[in-house]
Amino acid sequence: MFKPRMIALAAALIAPAALALATPAIAQQKTTIGVSLAQDDNPFYIAMLRGIRARAEELGWDVATVSANEDKLKQINGVQDLIARGVKGILISPIDSVGVNAAYDAAAAAKIPIVSVARGSASPNQTIHVAMDEKQIGRDIAEWTAKKLNGKGKVGLLMGPSGAPTFKNLGDGYSEVMAKYPGIEIVFRGDGPLTRERGVKQAEDVLVANPDLAAIYAANDDVALGAMQAVNAASRKGKTLVTGMNGVPPALRAVKEANLAMTVELNPAEWGRLGVDVLASFLKGDKVEPRVFIKHVIIDSSNIDAKLPKT
Amino acid sequence: MKGKGRRWNLAGQMPLVSLIVLCVATALLTNRFLSPFNVTNILVQSSIMAVIAMGMTFVIVGGGFDLSVGSTAALSGCIASMVMLEAGIAAGVAAGIIAGAAVGLANGLVIAFLNVNPFITTLGTMVLVRGVVFLITGGAPVSGEAGLPSEFVAFGSDRFLGIHYLVWIPAVLLAVLSFVMHATPYGRRIYATGGAREAAYLSGVPVRKVIASTYVWCGALAGVAGVMLAARLQSGQPTAGEFYELTAIAAVVLGGASLQGGEGTLYKSVIGVFIMIVLGNALNLLNVDSYWQRVAVGAVIIAAAAAERLRSRGSR
Repeated sequence: MFKPRMIALAAALIAPAALALATPAIAQQKTTIGVSLAQDDNPFYIAMLRGIRARAEELGWDVATVSANEDKLKQINGVQDLIARGVKGILISPIDSVGVNAAYDAAAAAKIPIVSVARGSASPNQTIHVAMDEKQIGRDIAEWTAKKLNGKGKVGLLMGPSGAPTFKNLGDGYSEVMAKYPGIEIVFRGDGPLTRERGVKQAEDVLVANPDLAAIYAANDDVALGAMQAVNAASRKGKTLVTGMNGVPPALRAVKEANLAMTVELNPAEWGRLGVDVLASFLKGDKVEPRVFIKHVIIDSSNIDAKLPKT
Repeated sequence: MKGKGRRWNLAGQMPLVSLIVLCVATALLTNRFLSPFNVTNILVQSSIMAVIAMGMTFVIVGGGFDLSVGSTAALSGCIASMVMLEAGIAAGVAAGIIAGAAVGLANGLVIAFLNVNPFITTLGTMVLVRGVVFLITGGAPVSGEAGLPSEFVAFGSDRFLGIHYLVWIPAVLLAVLSFVMHATPYGRRIYATGGAREAAYLSGVPVRKVIASTYVWCGALAGVAGVMLAARLQSGQPTAGEFYELTAIAAVVLGGASLQGGEGTLYKSVIGVFIMIVLGNALNLLNVDSYWQRVAVGAVIIAAAAAERLRSRGSR
């Protein structure tokens, strides 16, 4: 009488077993590294994972991934599974800087190096943090802008969400450089979400208050694309420079069309490759600095054609 | 009742059999599975969900349903952290659990005394409580300037007699609550109410109070889980616990409880949790792609529901 139930339960068991069998056999002798990203459905992390896999393959390594999907407990559990699996090192993009410290503690207890890529942790057990040099990017954007403006003009800053350290650092680097130019005046500095809508709104307000605005710094490309709409609507195209950051395809197109003055390319696949390389040097016993910075490339009219996706 | 229990004896052990089959299959596929590290790992990973699933068992046996446990756990974890930073660990833990029980009481009163559908009521509290969590925390994790008290954080990773504190909690709760559910008149009233509410009412069971009480258990246990979660995450996390309600319900059903009420056993719900956690652990150890993992977990939940459906049809 309970047969149907047994069949159903058997099905429940066969499904994962079949999946497990369908995956390639685990090569015990190969070096395996573990990867735990904050999300597995975000284009940034998907590209990063592609870079990790590509570089690992070149080194003859296997990659074991666990997903977290912004659930901190799931990320801790996933890292423990990686440790149980016997990985030689872990690349992690922690969901936040405190909530998943238990994952770092577990790796340290198992004497497995754990390298943060992109996002970082406050944990003392973080082996290395590979990230963009936020302040330097801010400085580079400011230097580029100051040069274009010949060192004079009014500038508005559309920063990131209040309290987010990345965007604070970017803005600090930017302001630090601009302070060296007596002719440049920062007339506005506003926090807000990283959306196009907010970029339009805030840029409109700044342009109303300062019709002769010479440049707008936007914390990322979405905000920049919004600001660009406001600038074009105010017939200030080419007179008010808009700078972005990230190098997403719509922003690259906008640079090509001269709607956006410049953006900064952050290539997440390269971040992944660098993460693997850093881990490799560490495992080899080389000395690695606790912070490794990822290269960034400024994209403007001079090099945009090489960066546009081939059609 | 007794005769029925005996007739379903073998079928009644299906959750345990499934768990054993799953473990054996995984152990055959990878020798890492039964390493002491991984066994501890599975116990710790199961601990928080086991506490939530026990609370869910009370509600489901009583004929109800609770979607708000994940939000409640987040609320309790954040309140515990906030109070702890001001008034010490004991006050924080108590405040967290009381907050959970209060959400449960609110659910129970609306469902039992206003006769609002449990699905809708707890869907409402799920959203509402999450909103409250964001309001009181401002959306940011709660860990104070210097972090939560170190003794509390240590509680999230330290062991007693070789076993993590986090594992002791569900173990002790399971013993105590099994007694409450299976060896007291109150426990029998929960089964009677969930199994046949009308009959229970006619034989003098205060069904409304019994139903309301199951939600208080569920809320309080979600509160305990929230406090454990805060210790594990070394902070009160406003976004924690999302989708925990679904895992808990799936685990309780995997443990053989009926969503129609009147059936279910605490220890089998815990076995249901182990099945979910071991499945995830096994898929990770075997390096199954994370997208495939979602497919597998979803398939297991559907299979469990199908099993429940087939069985209730078979017993008619």
